[in-house]
Amino acid sequence: MKEVIAVIRANMINQTKNALLEMGFPAFTACKALGRGKRSVDFQVIQALDKNGSLSETPDLLPSISQGGRLIPKRYLSIVVPSERVKELVDTIIKVNRTKQPGDGKIFVLPVKNVFRVRTGETGEAALDEMAV
Amino acid sequence: MIMIKAVVRPEKSNEVMKSLFDAGYPAVTKIDVAGRGKQRGLKFGEVVYDELPKVLLMVVVPDLDKDYVIKSIMTSAKTGSKGSFGDGKIFVSEVEEVYTISSGVKEGEEAA
Repeated sequence: MKEVIAVIRANMINQTKNALLEMGFPAFTACKALGRGKRSVDFQVIQALDKNGSLSETPDLLPSISQGGRLIPKRYLSIVVPSERVKELVDTIIKVNRTKQPGDGKIFVLPVKNVFRVRTGETGEAALDEMAV
Repeated sequence: MIMIKAVVRPEKSNEVMKSLFDAGYPAVTKIDVAGRGKQRGLKFGEVVYDELPKVLLMVVVPDLDKDYVIKSIMTSAKTGSKGSFGDGKIFVSEVEEVYTISSGVKEGEEAA
């Protein structure tokens, strides 16, 4: 079993939720998170905001805005799946969330030793919520 | 790749984030959490606080950088020179695969 952790854009959560349901991954945990990536603020965003060109008159301003590790709101998803379905899940998340712009997010795949269902005491893969596609 | 999850004091989180940024690890995810530790929360007379607010910081780094990142979190999250109860914990787990959604590619060891 593997835990797939995805950090995605906050406005993509509904599309991702529907796509996961369609692909047969009904169960997941999500929470709001803040984060920063390799680039703290997207240059293109600043340039788009700067319609009258006043920012480019002060050349030091653009780098100073993008520096310092500003945090951007993101959505954190955690999904535990059997090992053989990891690829299917990762492909689905990438397909839905990809806008080809920096800030689309990251996906991490971690090993999980065991899973227990509290209600019945089942362990291992039997405890995972599987749904027929 | 290694995932480092650090549970730190909320008032220390900015300092830890800054030290990670200066150390060359700008990519961090931050989540507000609540929890208690070995000391079973704080007790003032009859009142027990066992859901203390903390901040969970998540960093994924190449295997070789693990000790360096842990050290920089450790030094920046400590209260006072010796540290004190409630400074938090650091958990390390293995990450088998990393994908960047914007490019759709699986990352090698060089990217975090």
